[in-house]
Amino acid sequence: MDKKRKNLSRFLYYGARWILGGVFIYASYDKILHPAAFSKIIYNYQILPDVLINLTALVLPMLELIMGIFFWVGFWMPGTAILSNILLISYMGALIFNLARGLNINCGCFSTSSGSSINIASILWDAAFLVLSVYLTVAVFKSGNRHAPKQIHG
Amino acid sequence: MPQRRLFNKKFKMFKQKCLQAIWQCTALIVFAFLVAISINYLRNDSLQLFGNGSPEARLMDPSGKRLDISLSEAKKLFFQRSAVFIDARPQGDFEKGHIKGALGLPWNEVDRNFMRVTENISPDTLIITYCDGETCELSHNLAIFLLDMGFSNVRILINGWALWKENLPIESGSSTAGQG
Repeated sequence: MDKKRKNLSRFLYYGARWILGGVFIYASYDKILHPAAFSKIIYNYQILPDVLINLTALVLPMLELIMGIFFWVGFWMPGTAILSNILLISYMGALIFNLARGLNINCGCFSTSSGSSINIASILWDAAFLVLSVYLTVAVFKSGNRHAPKQIHG
Repeated sequence: MPQRRLFNKKFKMFKQKCLQAIWQCTALIVFAFLVAISINYLRNDSLQLFGNGSPEARLMDPSGKRLDISLSEAKKLFFQRSAVFIDARPQGDFEKGHIKGALGLPWNEVDRNFMRVTENISPDTLIITYCDGETCELSHNLAIFLLDMGFSNVRILINGWALWKENLPIESGSSTAGQG
């Protein structure tokens, strides 16, 4: 029974890592290729000051890509997991804020092309990824090595 | 006593993880920053790092010429009848209301309606595109498209519909709209 539980924990841990890694890499790809389009999307959110928009459009997708790779290879897990929570919570805040004030803007969640407006579904997707990310953080922080071999914690 | 020792051990480990997480987060951000800046520097279409994100600055054609036009200027051109107004919003919005005499060329159906809507417009005619909302991209996309199609004098009235409908001539229906 204990072995079964351990296997399940391990399965969930690796599953969460692979899913989140894939999500971050997929989300970064198009934005890295089209920074100008992504900067317009960030501008439309009307949250950041103008001077930080281009910088964010460049750094954020790169951060997502690096985090995705780190999730996949299991490197620097405590930092990556915490940062993943911070990013996903920020995204959710931005989505809820703009949905609440009725802005019909492109989400820019996974691509810079138009046609993916912000809606409840984008918030729910973000919430689902946040659940995985929080689970991963707990798994990484909780007594260190119960869910995964020592070396993967970086 | 052993419980207390176990608690201390766990707390120490947690503290260690927190410190690890803090420096790793910082290092990740710095690393991403350096890689992103380096790649941007090497790109042909690199972004200005601390660019001006205002609507006016964003509304430029690929050569850097500003495309936006002020409401007062647009109004003057409207009453002089020296510009053609093109509404880039979806057909339904156009039918509900648009600038009087404007043509409807919804951006989402531009390929289908472009030829028919613009067949009587000469390439050097002053065209003013508009949509609704300061962050609306439809008029910008349409303006760039029209420039690509050979119209040399295209401008954008930012937030056009919202500004215009307050006290300038409007009409509804689809008489001049691009119906496909």
